[in-house]
Amino acid sequence: MAKKQKKDLIRLAVQIFFLALIILISVNHFRSEQGLAPLLIGAPSLHAVCPFGGVVTIYTYLAEGAFIQKIHQSAFTLMWLVLGLTLLFGPVFCGWVCPFGTVQEFIGKIGRKIFKKRYNNFIPSVIDKPLRYLRYVILALVVVNTAISGKLLFSNFDPYYALFNIWSSEVTRLSLLVLGLTLIGSLFVERPWCKYLCPLGALLGIFNFFRIVKLKRNENICINCKVCDRVCPMNINISTSKVISDHQCISCLLCTDEIACPVSNSLNFSVLERKNPKEDLKKDSEDKIEESVSGGVK
Amino acid sequence: MKIKSIHILLAIIIIIGGGILLASELDLYNTDRVKSPRKTAEGFYDIYDIRGSHTLEEIEKYYQLPASSAIDAFGLRPDTIPALFQLKDMKEIFKPVELEGEEYIVETDTVKVFTSLYLKIPYVSDETFYLPEKTVNYLIENDKLIGEEKEYWQGHTFKMEYLDSKYLAASEFSRIVVEEAEGFKVTGKTTVKELLDGGITEEKFEEVTGFKVPEDKSVLVRDFLIDKGLEFGEVKDKFAE
Repeated sequence: MAKKQKKDLIRLAVQIFFLALIILISVNHFRSEQGLAPLLIGAPSLHAVCPFGGVVTIYTYLAEGAFIQKIHQSAFTLMWLVLGLTLLFGPVFCGWVCPFGTVQEFIGKIGRKIFKKRYNNFIPSVIDKPLRYLRYVILALVVVNTAISGKLLFSNFDPYYALFNIWSSEVTRLSLLVLGLTLIGSLFVERPWCKYLCPLGALLGIFNFFRIVKLKRNENICINCKVCDRVCPMNINISTSKVISDHQCISCLLCTDEIACPVSNSLNFSVLERKNPKEDLKKDSEDKIEESVSGGVK
Repeated sequence: MKIKSIHILLAIIIIIGGGILLASELDLYNTDRVKSPRKTAEGFYDIYDIRGSHTLEEIEKYYQLPASSAIDAFGLRPDTIPALFQLKDMKEIFKPVELEGEEYIVETDTVKVFTSLYLKIPYVSDETFYLPEKTVNYLIENDKLIGEEKEYWQGHTFKMEYLDSKYLAASEFSRIVVEEAEGFKVTGKTTVKELLDGGITEEKFEEVTGFKVPEDKSVLVRDFLIDKGLEFGEVKDKFAE
């Protein structure tokens, strides 16, 4: 049955919560450096609450039993928690938690109002597709170079760190440039950093191939309206797949029948094999026909 | 089973929130960085692990490099508080310099090299090939550089400039001490001789400072007090009493 598109209020609330949390942590860290007491919660460094810190230090931890400079034990623990969450549901961290993804998404809402249907469709597919793999190159470069140098090189061009630590002298000009380009780019393309450059997104994206809870489309009841394709922030061709395992999916649930898809049970996240209602109906009618033909004798 | 937004929300709360709580209980979620540097196989703190967030006090604690030596060698203000001054703060004080076509910033790695030379512990830097002239002079004056090492560093120096030309002049010690003492003003530039000439007796000097009047009376009162580990701001008040 067709239904009206709903708003993803739960996800929005989660996004706002984590964005506010990171802003509060950033403010508190600034206050503590000024000798002022932190508000409500502690004043950890942003490095302490970013799971990517755990990823870049993993080699040093395994080889030397120590974290690289600026990386905290909490980041290492967070990495495992996020990987566990991702193994279950895919990159929920990207679509729901990451404050930098949220900021890009919020700016994207302005872009969508300005450019309407052209928004998020500026880059030709022939350029866009290969660019989507650039983030894997960055992931490899960051992990290898961090292992060699033992230094947190990524923070030199990390726009997330630049945005939430903009008051700090540790923020490099390069990271401010990347931040500026990302924010401007967000007016034209949804989540440009996530799509093309984010190394953590690259790692988590791999889990889409084997996540336990899968995004499935029921071909038999799908009406091919392509709403799912249009609402997908990552421009994934959902309407042509049976199981969506694209490495760019951020598990935002926007495409599912809970929000955008107008047909119930046509597109959703599910953990066990779902019975197909149409197939069940068809099977029932076939059984009845067979029964009537054979006179009920089997 | 169909998974909805509410299930994802619960998963985030349970896995991330619950995971953090559990890890905290197991002491596996520490947001405070371990400040003590790594140790070498010989059991010494590793110079390679000196960090920008280390304070001068921590460098003194871990490496036995006196904070006063670092303050002198780098031309920091004498009233620099070792417990608060982080090595990364240096880049806020000194101008970057152009060395062999590349910009060099006096910061953590400079201190690593200085510490290595001061303590005679090997450290191979991949970015510091020049040191501030003041730092090299300090090392030579304190017999920390000899032979080929001395020759090398004497030939690899640069003039260090402050970002704020009034950095030293803006120091608290020279601003606050403009008070009357026995009819004359004691400032950061007042020498011991001027103090005695101004009416402070040698007994009074000894009573206030706890030390005898130095032989070299041309020394600044401020420098003398700092050298003896006294707070200039506090002691100058006693001269005025």
